[in-house]
Amino acid sequence: MKRVVSLLFIAALLALLLYVVANMPPMGDPENPTNSSEVIKRYLNEAEEETHCENVITGIILNYRGYDTMGEVTVIFCALAAVLAVLGREKRGKIYAYADRSRVPSSAIVRTMVAFLVPFIILFSIYTILHGEISPGGGFQGGAIVGGSMIIFTTIFGLYESSQRIPQKLRAPLEGSAVITFFIVGILGMAGGGNFLTYAWPNIATNLQPSVVTWLTILVEIGIGLGGAMVLISILFSMIREEEEIAVAP
Amino acid sequence: MRLLHNYHYIVAMLLFCIGLYTVIVRRNIIKKLIGLNIMETSVFLFYISLGYLEGGIAPIRVGGADPSRMVNPIPQALILTGIVVAVSVTALALALVILLYRQYGTLDVDRLFRDEEVEEETAEEKEGTA
Amino acid sequence: MGAYRHFPILMITIPLLCAVLMPFLGYLRQKWVAWAALIPLASSTILGFLLIGKVPPDGYISYHLGNWAPPWGIEVRVDFMGLFLMLVVCCISFLALVFSRRYIEREVSGGRLTAYYVLFLLMSGAMLGFVATGDIFNLFVFMEILALSSYALVAITGNRNAVRAAFKYVLMGAPSSIMVLLAIGFLYSATGTLNMADLAGRIAESGYSEVLIVSFILFVIGFGVKAALFPLHMWLPDAHSIAPSPISALLSGLLVEVGAFAILRITFSVFTTSADNLMAGTLDAVSIFAAAAVLYGGIMAIMQKDLKMMIAYSTVSHIGYIFLGITAFTREGLAGAMYHMLDHGLAKACLFLCAGCFIYMKGYRRIDELKGAWRQMPWTCFAFALASISVIGIPPTAGFISKFYLIYGNFTSQRWPYALVLLVGAILAAVYCFRVIYYMFFQPGKEGAWEENTRDAAPSMLTPIWILSLGTLFFGVFSGLIIDSLLKAAQYLL
Repeated sequence: MKRVVSLLFIAALLALLLYVVANMPPMGDPENPTNSSEVIKRYLNEAEEETHCENVITGIILNYRGYDTMGEVTVIFCALAAVLAVLGREKRGKIYAYADRSRVPSSAIVRTMVAFLVPFIILFSIYTILHGEISPGGGFQGGAIVGGSMIIFTTIFGLYESSQRIPQKLRAPLEGSAVITFFIVGILGMAGGGNFLTYAWPNIATNLQPSVVTWLTILVEIGIGLGGAMVLISILFSMIREEEEIAVAP
Repeated sequence: MRLLHNYHYIVAMLLFCIGLYTVIVRRNIIKKLIGLNIMETSVFLFYISLGYLEGGIAPIRVGGADPSRMVNPIPQALILTGIVVAVSVTALALALVILLYRQYGTLDVDRLFRDEEVEEETAEEKEGTA
Repeated sequence: MGAYRHFPILMITIPLLCAVLMPFLGYLRQKWVAWAALIPLASSTILGFLLIGKVPPDGYISYHLGNWAPPWGIEVRVDFMGLFLMLVVCCISFLALVFSRRYIEREVSGGRLTAYYVLFLLMSGAMLGFVATGDIFNLFVFMEILALSSYALVAITGNRNAVRAAFKYVLMGAPSSIMVLLAIGFLYSATGTLNMADLAGRIAESGYSEVLIVSFILFVIGFGVKAALFPLHMWLPDAHSIAPSPISALLSGLLVEVGAFAILRITFSVFTTSADNLMAGTLDAVSIFAAAAVLYGGIMAIMQKDLKMMIAYSTVSHIGYIFLGITAFTREGLAGAMYHMLDHGLAKACLFLCAGCFIYMKGYRRIDELKGAWRQMPWTCFAFALASISVIGIPPTAGFISKFYLIYGNFTSQRWPYALVLLVGAILAAVYCFRVIYYMFFQPGKEGAWEENTRDAAPSMLTPIWILSLGTLFFGVFSGLIIDSLLKAAQYLL
């Protein structure tokens, strides 16, 4: 009964949405409102001079719409705080090696390959973070890659090994680094005579502005990368402890 | 005819409805979360198709690329935010699922909520006997 | 342009930054966190009060982030109603935080205590940002911070019912957020901009009216879940009654109203009245549901045995009031809705904190356990009674002023059935409130329920309660301070 009602409801919703799609501007047309507004014209033509990012998307997320990204960074920090509030941090000093408990321990080949690959993955993520302004990539992407490499590492070697590599004392101070960096850049912008999150300070000489903008952009990228990576790793670790406890409890 | 031209949007809307159906009807809470992620992905697809330009190139100004042929960068920037938000919500929901499973020993929505009714009944019975 | 132009952004970012710094403090000395968390909210409140008089009722102050002019950059736009709601948010969350220092230590312990304050600050900061923003995508971002922190705060005690209520909340809240995101996508596809003021201009001349209508419907559904409008309210009674009491006060007194304010913003600042033929049908449906909410919430509140559950259903009913004011489309109705946000915030926060006192001192949750409570806990009971009078809407309190304007606004727009529903709602409120008051003051206590030496709650818990309940009295007696400016602001929006 419930299934039929919800099917009917969703069919009605689908009909409504398809009706909208039939009346929407044609996709890919240069004349439709999204592609012809003056907002995008300025972004595409002047982002390079105004934000000193060759990658227009990075210019938008860090500079034109930096406030959104500040909110976004707060969202991941909030997710970490929420997960820690629900599950708590991982417990230190106990050995929870997944590979030892499981019926199929990971083979020597897998362990060797992972130990060999993870440093390279992290190196790649550093490249992604630092080259965000000129090529696809940026802080979030790099942070996610670090998080992914730690997921691989933890699945094979277990929580004890990986929390030895990145101990809580190192992670905890860095988790908020993204929000703090944004705030510092924002306050510096205010001190420089502009509004919050102004990169090109009006109070300094015009010929100095480009280098200030570039350095601030790189600073924000590094802050986001570090903060994002640490948040993802902490979330992963705090979830694993719980799974082990489930496995132990009858 | 425009409906067929906008086929990306149609796929996005279909995915949206599939995701919503999964969230509403499925009883397993992990499947509900998967449905949630399908919904999110469908909206991302919708946004990215919004910024598409016939024969467009990536909006990266390297090697004198022509700005008038670049696709719209705004939806891509927005969706970067959207993805991070989706990841955060999923992380929190999974943490709640872990805790729920530990406390109730089930992932079935019906059993999670039937449990409540049983508790209430026993509480009322106790009152009646007292 | 003095330094005050930076105030709105500082009001928003200081709580967010301090939330990130709290773990460091918690690492040094756990005890300091509860005190230190008061500092950012106090400074936001002070900055907000300094802004009074700088924002004219028929204007706004606009702040361009990163010095980019609006359609390109993000704008923070504080108009009179926005500032009004921001001040309400600051004051009530500050008082709830004062209350929670003692209360929460019993329910939450260890590292979770720091997480509690972090999430509390994030939630307050996100509400301020949500109210003040002038960019529609930014609205979504702040809505998500708000949603995530509130999900976690409902579950923070970690007991099984709380986790289940939080999960129910996630299952309703997350799809609604996605609907809002989809609605923003539709709006963007038809206009090509994200700034609210810019959108208002382009919607009037856009040729894609079907897309705009469906976008509006999706906005109403999406924010309707956040605001707990009647058929979408299922998460509310569980979440509000199971969460720790200071959090219930925040959820019920602020979060729900902020959701309603988002619909007000979307209706009047984005889809301006020039486009009202687009929205007429949807708004009619909303007012029918709002009327149903007033009646349903009132009747369900009468049937509850649990005190916090009763207050939660009363919130369902009062959200209906706010929506009836918004959909009346008159000056008085809109001003009444805004004033109702103030008095509902004060009164509901006070009621939930009083319920928290009973739980903290005696562990009593059920209404019939409160028989004869006033002999032992007179201060709590009198504050509860005063706030209940405001909830009902009896003259010297702020509740009377807002209900008067709501009913008047509905009469002037020829919507007398809705005005009648509002009157019936007040009668229902009288029934459920006077029942509790009757039990507290005029019934003898059960044998052994109240020992002779039961003390009233500690001063640190009673002070915020009394400030809130006297606030409802103050804004009832001196309503002229605000209501004229609110009427002007409403005229400006229409």
